[in-house]
Amino acid sequence: MSERHPMPRGHDGQGRYEIRLQGQLDDSWSDWFEGFTLANESDGTTTLTGPVIDQAALHGLLRRVGNLGVTLISVNVLRSRQP
Amino acid sequence: MAMPVLATKLFIPVLRPRAVPRPRLVERLREGLHSGRKLTLISAPAGFGKTTLLSEWIADARRRDPQVRVGWLSLDEGDNDPSRFLTYLVSALQRADPALGLEALALPGTSFDPALTTLINDVAQSSSAIILVLDDFQLIEDESIRDAVVFLLDHLPSNLHLAIASRSDPLLPVARLRAGGELTELRAADLRFTPDEAAVFLGKMVDLDLSAADVAALDARTEGWIAGLQLAALSMRDRSDVSGFIEGFTGSNRFVLDYLAEEVLQRQPDEVREFLLHTSVLNRLSGPLCDAVTGQAGSSEMLESLERDNLFVVPLDDRRRWYRYHHLFADVLRARLLRDRPDRVSELHVLASEWYERNDLPEDAVTHALAAADFGRAARVIEAAIPVVRKSRQDATLLRWLTLLPDEVIDRRPVLGVYCAWSSLVAGDVEAVEPRLRVAERALATTADDGTPTHDSAAGEELRMLPVMIAVYRAAVAQARGNVAEIRVHAERALELVEPADHLGRGAAAGFLGLAAWATGDLEGGVRAFREVRTSLLLAGNVADALGTTIVLADMLIPLGRLREAQRSYEQALLQAAEQGEPPPQSTADLHVGLSELLRERGELAAAAEHLATSEALGEHASLHENRHRWFVAMASLREAEGQLDAALELLTTAVGLHRRGFFPEVRPISAMKARIWIAHGRLADAEAWVSGRGLSAADDLSYLREFEHITLARLLIAQHRADPRDRAIEAAAGLLDRLLAAAEAGGRTGSAIEILVLRALALGAQGRTALALQPLQRALALAEPEGYLRIFADEGEPLTALLGATADAGILPDYVRRLRQAMRQTTGDGVSLGGIPDPLSERELHVLRLLATELSGPQIARELYVSLNTLRTHTRHIFGKLDVNSRPAAVGRATELGLI
Repeated sequence: MSERHPMPRGHDGQGRYEIRLQGQLDDSWSDWFEGFTLANESDGTTTLTGPVIDQAALHGLLRRVGNLGVTLISVNVLRSRQP
Repeated sequence: MAMPVLATKLFIPVLRPRAVPRPRLVERLREGLHSGRKLTLISAPAGFGKTTLLSEWIADARRRDPQVRVGWLSLDEGDNDPSRFLTYLVSALQRADPALGLEALALPGTSFDPALTTLINDVAQSSSAIILVLDDFQLIEDESIRDAVVFLLDHLPSNLHLAIASRSDPLLPVARLRAGGELTELRAADLRFTPDEAAVFLGKMVDLDLSAADVAALDARTEGWIAGLQLAALSMRDRSDVSGFIEGFTGSNRFVLDYLAEEVLQRQPDEVREFLLHTSVLNRLSGPLCDAVTGQAGSSEMLESLERDNLFVVPLDDRRRWYRYHHLFADVLRARLLRDRPDRVSELHVLASEWYERNDLPEDAVTHALAAADFGRAARVIEAAIPVVRKSRQDATLLRWLTLLPDEVIDRRPVLGVYCAWSSLVAGDVEAVEPRLRVAERALATTADDGTPTHDSAAGEELRMLPVMIAVYRAAVAQARGNVAEIRVHAERALELVEPADHLGRGAAAGFLGLAAWATGDLEGGVRAFREVRTSLLLAGNVADALGTTIVLADMLIPLGRLREAQRSYEQALLQAAEQGEPPPQSTADLHVGLSELLRERGELAAAAEHLATSEALGEHASLHENRHRWFVAMASLREAEGQLDAALELLTTAVGLHRRGFFPEVRPISAMKARIWIAHGRLADAEAWVSGRGLSAADDLSYLREFEHITLARLLIAQHRADPRDRAIEAAAGLLDRLLAAAEAGGRTGSAIEILVLRALALGAQGRTALALQPLQRALALAEPEGYLRIFADEGEPLTALLGATADAGILPDYVRRLRQAMRQTTGDGVSLGGIPDPLSERELHVLRLLATELSGPQIARELYVSLNTLRTHTRHIFGKLDVNSRPAAVGRATELGLI
């Protein structure tokens, strides 16, 4: 991936994101959410984690969340350790 | 044939008998409508009953006032094409009042505003109160469409109310409307079912005695989310252990939709579940379409039973032919299909695409082919749809599709490749055109061993015309690059290839030849070519563009010195334009500008001003983009003739901003016109800066393209001599003018020659050699008199007045010279006099005044002028003030006395 996108990390919002939703969704929704992994948390929320190629992709994903009527709690960029 | 308008998108959803009445919400909507607020906005996520509430409100409004009219538009992603959106918007309004929007749809052009303006005027004239509903507005992402809705809101007639339902807040000026009390707003918090509503809903849905505690638990768990409650009800139906279900559901942390959809789906018989999953790829469902996709018969019955069972199937017409799944349910089904049968998704889309193609619905056929990533199929359907799409002007749709196709698929279809080349050309990406054309040309030329073509484009009209179009687009690229020799080569190639019946191809090729001739100063050749363009365009039925050629013809006839012929062409074209009725052809306003310039030259300044006022009144949509600057140029010359040089300069600056380069050779650059005014104004330093910026010198080789600039330079040299007689500029001017005269005479440009001769006379006059100056002046007068030139002399002012005096004394052309001297005396006064009132009426006000003298009603006059009633009232108020009257008849009477009308 990084070979094909030689831009600095963070440009265009490219990177790994963590999206927290209210309620528990099982992993069968993974394909629907563009391959993000779903993890159910003990507080009744679900965490979606996965790569986003740019802002448009992120907004598309959030729209899918919105379309299902799921309550969105937070969106975070995952900062990987700098090499 | 145009792209079909789908009636299902305009269907007003029928209120289901089992829906829960929501009087508290309907009352708020009713109140908003009655208090005259502009916009109702229902903004909440999916499954909150937005559409159902709107239908309940509409039914209520119609019951209370049977006269109220309703237009409903269910938007989809495809509506991000502005012309498609407009078509549906008008179609929805026509459901409310069939007389609306007939003109709006007929209007040409790429801009929304003219069409919207006429539509808004139509609605304002309608006697009906209209509610226009735009459902699923969150799908609109195109900015020009959002701008159009803002424009509509800003100019909303009082008899129109707009209602928008959206899953997310639309990018409209909601805060402004809210602050101005123009907005009725319902949000998720308002739409959630109260425990009482939940109880009624569950009671209607399931035949069970639920305890108040059960209802409260379900309402709390779903937070009043209606789709959740509906799924819960479906899960409880025919279940023996209802309390077990409620316990399990309310005790679970799982997302409501996830938990319940699984429950509901699992409780369906296998065949129903299969049907739901397989048909979930469809945006719309009909029996025959579902039969084709599932490969099974009986889908119509299946859909009816799904509707009966409340399984989230929404009817899209009242004959139970088309349905859709509730968006939320469709998403759940698609996610399940993707999980359980990912291998089948593409295949299902292809089956849908095939059905749509068989049923002549190319848009859906393409959408499903693209969803299946079956690009070969998509490309074939797109290519077949090109003629239809072109006629419906839905180019945005086509271009969006093309960006989704891989290049190698486009390269195998020369028809698509050439269409891509055209779209690059109009987008101004000239570099991208030739590579596309070359690939297409190579594909056309390659054949298999048995002589059959190896490309994929289907045989037919489009393919047959392709070689001509390739040559024409190449000529266009050469034109954009200013390469005259290349224009000729490609335009002549196109003329060789063109078939007798291909009038558009012939017209385009002749047009490029004409432009090439024009740019090289072969004006006779240019006139011949554009006469042919005009004939071809008329044969092709394109009246607006045929009339537009008049302007090009006149632009060449004027330097040829054929003013009368140019004027006749304009007058005939305006007659033809009038025969076309309403709306006027797109070039009509430009024709008035052209005629105005000729009338001005002949000294008829009032008539010239009147044509400019008419042109302005016709508005931008009666004008071609490439001509829009011309009004300001013409008005500047008029101001110049009135001696208002600052106003003229300001108008020319506006003209520079509007000028679109590349359409026509720039034989009269606006910057040179400004320089001429500076020279007349004595601002020689400004003019000198312009000369050096343009790299002009009296020793330059001459070409027609620079004739106007070189004549301007000669003017500057003469002015420099007047400012400082020791300056030797006058000799340079004389040499330049002699060479310019020879070039103009060689090219048959009598019009240019007259101006050059006048300047030659002025140069001699500036040297005090009056007797010698009379020779060129006499030649100029002799050439000018038969065509009725006036301003070409009068605009020179004082220095020429002296020479004309000497001419009169010498008895040369006495009548003509007397007329010229008279005109020059008037110019030094206060411009055109407009009757004996202290504050003269503007041209616009005079126009309004003439309309006030007719039988037309106020709204009819406003329509005639393309302005709102309010603007007309403002004009009328000013007119009454200036004429010191209080009524329309009095104004007409006073104006008649004053000789104003």
